[in-house]
Amino acid sequence: MRIVLTMKERTNPHIPIEAEKINPAFLMWGTDELTVWEGNKERRLDEVFEIEMEGTATSVNEVEVVLRGDTSRVKRVGEYMDGGRITIEGDIGMHCANFMAAGTIEVMGNAGGWFARELRGGTVICRGDAGHYCAAGYRGEKKGMRGGKVEVFGSAGDFTAEHLFGGEVIVHGNCGDMPGVDMQGGFLTIHGDCSRPCGNMTDGRCMVLGCASEMLPTFKKQDEVNGPDGLSLTHFTGDVANRGKGNLLVRCYQYLE
Amino acid sequence: MNELLVKNAYVIDPINHIDGEVMDIAVRDGRIVEDVGPQAEVIDAEGCLTLPGGVDSHTHVCGTKVNFGRYMSPEDMRAGREVRRGVKHATSGYSVPTTYANSYRYAIMGYTTLLEGAMAPLEARHTHEEFSATPLQDMMANTLFDGNWGVMKAVSEGDIERVAAIVGWTLSAVKGFGIKLTNPGGTEAWGYGKDLRCIKDEVPHFGVTPAEIIEAMIQACEMLRLPHSVHLHCNNLGTPGNYACTVGTFNLVPDLNKKRQSLYATHVQFHSYGGSDWKTFRSKAEPVAYTVNNRPQIVIDMGQVMFGKTTTMTADGPMEFNLYRLHHNKWSNHDVELETGSGIIPVLYRKKNLVNSIMWAIGLELGLLVKDPWRCLLTTDNPNGAPFVKYPEIIALLMSKKYRDAEFATVHRRTESRVDLPALDREMDWNEIAVMTRAGQAKALGITGIGKGHLGLGAEADIAVYPLKVGEIDPAQEYQKIIDGFARAKWTVKRGRPVARNGEILVHGENTTIWVDPKISPEHDMSRDPKFTEMFNHWYSVRMSNYPVQDEYLKRNLRIETEATI
Repeated sequence: MRIVLTMKERTNPHIPIEAEKINPAFLMWGTDELTVWEGNKERRLDEVFEIEMEGTATSVNEVEVVLRGDTSRVKRVGEYMDGGRITIEGDIGMHCANFMAAGTIEVMGNAGGWFARELRGGTVICRGDAGHYCAAGYRGEKKGMRGGKVEVFGSAGDFTAEHLFGGEVIVHGNCGDMPGVDMQGGFLTIHGDCSRPCGNMTDGRCMVLGCASEMLPTFKKQDEVNGPDGLSLTHFTGDVANRGKGNLLVRCYQYLE
Repeated sequence: MNELLVKNAYVIDPINHIDGEVMDIAVRDGRIVEDVGPQAEVIDAEGCLTLPGGVDSHTHVCGTKVNFGRYMSPEDMRAGREVRRGVKHATSGYSVPTTYANSYRYAIMGYTTLLEGAMAPLEARHTHEEFSATPLQDMMANTLFDGNWGVMKAVSEGDIERVAAIVGWTLSAVKGFGIKLTNPGGTEAWGYGKDLRCIKDEVPHFGVTPAEIIEAMIQACEMLRLPHSVHLHCNNLGTPGNYACTVGTFNLVPDLNKKRQSLYATHVQFHSYGGSDWKTFRSKAEPVAYTVNNRPQIVIDMGQVMFGKTTTMTADGPMEFNLYRLHHNKWSNHDVELETGSGIIPVLYRKKNLVNSIMWAIGLELGLLVKDPWRCLLTTDNPNGAPFVKYPEIIALLMSKKYRDAEFATVHRRTESRVDLPALDREMDWNEIAVMTRAGQAKALGITGIGKGHLGLGAEADIAVYPLKVGEIDPAQEYQKIIDGFARAKWTVKRGRPVARNGEILVHGENTTIWVDPKISPEHDMSRDPKFTEMFNHWYSVRMSNYPVQDEYLKRNLRIETEATI
């Protein structure tokens, strides 16, 4: 089953749309009853999107959803998704793939903040850049992402993989400030640069293949190890300030002057 | 003229010695009267259990530390979300919900009067502002005096009249209701890096001991003729072996008042621990309950712990620091200049945890071992032991041995060797539950005179009708019906107006803040006392003229004036 949702022309394209119903589990039963919120107005799905549907599905895994047009203000797409596939041809708004448990989401453009927050499983890919709090936890909650895989081919913002508890996060570009802060498990790989990685980390492994600026002094230097592509990485453990046993591997680093 | 008739009510009203009588209750203009005219609005109770509106004599629902609990736990707001509907505001939160959520949930459970357990005098405005946003319950605030410099100085000088004068002035300045002592002296001592282990340790720089503070305050409370007694959170909360300190404190208390207790000891579950460390931790509810049974001048509340997530908050800063060292979760501590402090941390009580399981058992043991239900009241110290929405489960646990045994089978298996709970056969009846949840609380707070906690003529028309047919249910067997019934009142009537029905909120409501204004002779008026004003201007960061809470902060309010003997 293939569902193509094309964004219609909007009078004010800046008003955010809350679209947690864009999820294969709902769409496979038809779109007649589904609504989204545009600002403070509740709209039927077909008021906002042109809907094309082909075929039928017996399980959620047979559903493929495609989002077209200017979807950069559409929020909560694929929230609690438990199977199937969503492809977003342009940009996507905040909170895409929250709490997702299974399936695949692929964003061809950029993703907004809180991308793949508290992911439990499945695969989430962003071909462009991701915003702040990519693959992070929620404010106040102790455990963040618990499983699955997040891959960002561009750069990610601040607090990437904050409170990471399980699963794998790969950022091919740079990260902002404090990636992997409060990490308690899982794997975080940053191919580019970042600043102040892994503060308060207690467990898990973070690899920075670029340069870590403002490196935290509360990490204990262990030895040199061989990383991917023959790169030599410096191995740290910490965060000592939190009696942490995490591993932080960086290619080059710089302490704050 | 606003009239209401509650028909066919199966009334249990312990204060008026009514134990299960089918009758009609007539209400005019918010008061219970003999009869009403034919135009009165009629509620048919259909023979269901009808009690006076619930009274919670110790809860934390309003004020700065509750609000800081909200700040530091944004994740708590993910639970209990409800959208705005009709008269209802949107709500969210579970252990530290929004003020409206507190109010609605209490109303749905049939509660109409609440006592905020601890208000720091300096931060009273915040408490009163939140009172005005708790629309369906009448509110009172116990005022903290545990580390009050003026009080401690007067105690060290042995001048009880001055203690009373300071308390009286502060109460009327901040519109408080009664005296709360939280770990007296302990929080202040901790400010100097010292910890008081029990009532005989000295507070640094002040030369007083908690025992002296407690004794002086009990006397001062009687001098001011306050409706409520001293409300004490004993020293050394939550440490193994602290029961000795608790019993020692109880033995200090003289019997000074014929009408009510002389000391209200709150959340005694947290103070009934035996053992010398966490490994040998065990219940000592038995000696504590024995002391209470033998000393009629003491009333306690359970402070029951129920399993699940919650937030602990207290003015007992050092205790919260110890908890933080145990849990390593987020933690907040706060100092209120010259007065008190506070601490907050979120906790999770787990059945798999031996200590938590023992704590759960201790609360129930206290409830069952204190023979007189008038002297052991049902609370969880909301939200410290559990959020108040767990009250129906506690009621069922007290009423059904079968339910206790079923629950006991699910807790940590080594609990059995550390507690006496399985040996207790007592099953409470409806009347005892009515005492523990409203009548006893109203009597202990001294508010029966203003018409709280009973349904006699002239009483405030706070009525809760529960969907429970007393004759048809066997509480010992059908405990699930008890839980469901007490969780959702059929009708909750507040001041003669139905405010909740079967879980639905019907009106926006307007509450009353009840506060006490002791009338003190001019020679003891602290606002004119040179030494006190000097102390105030020298140490406080606010001016004395800006300290009292202005009348604008109180909307509808009831001032109880007392004739102090000083």
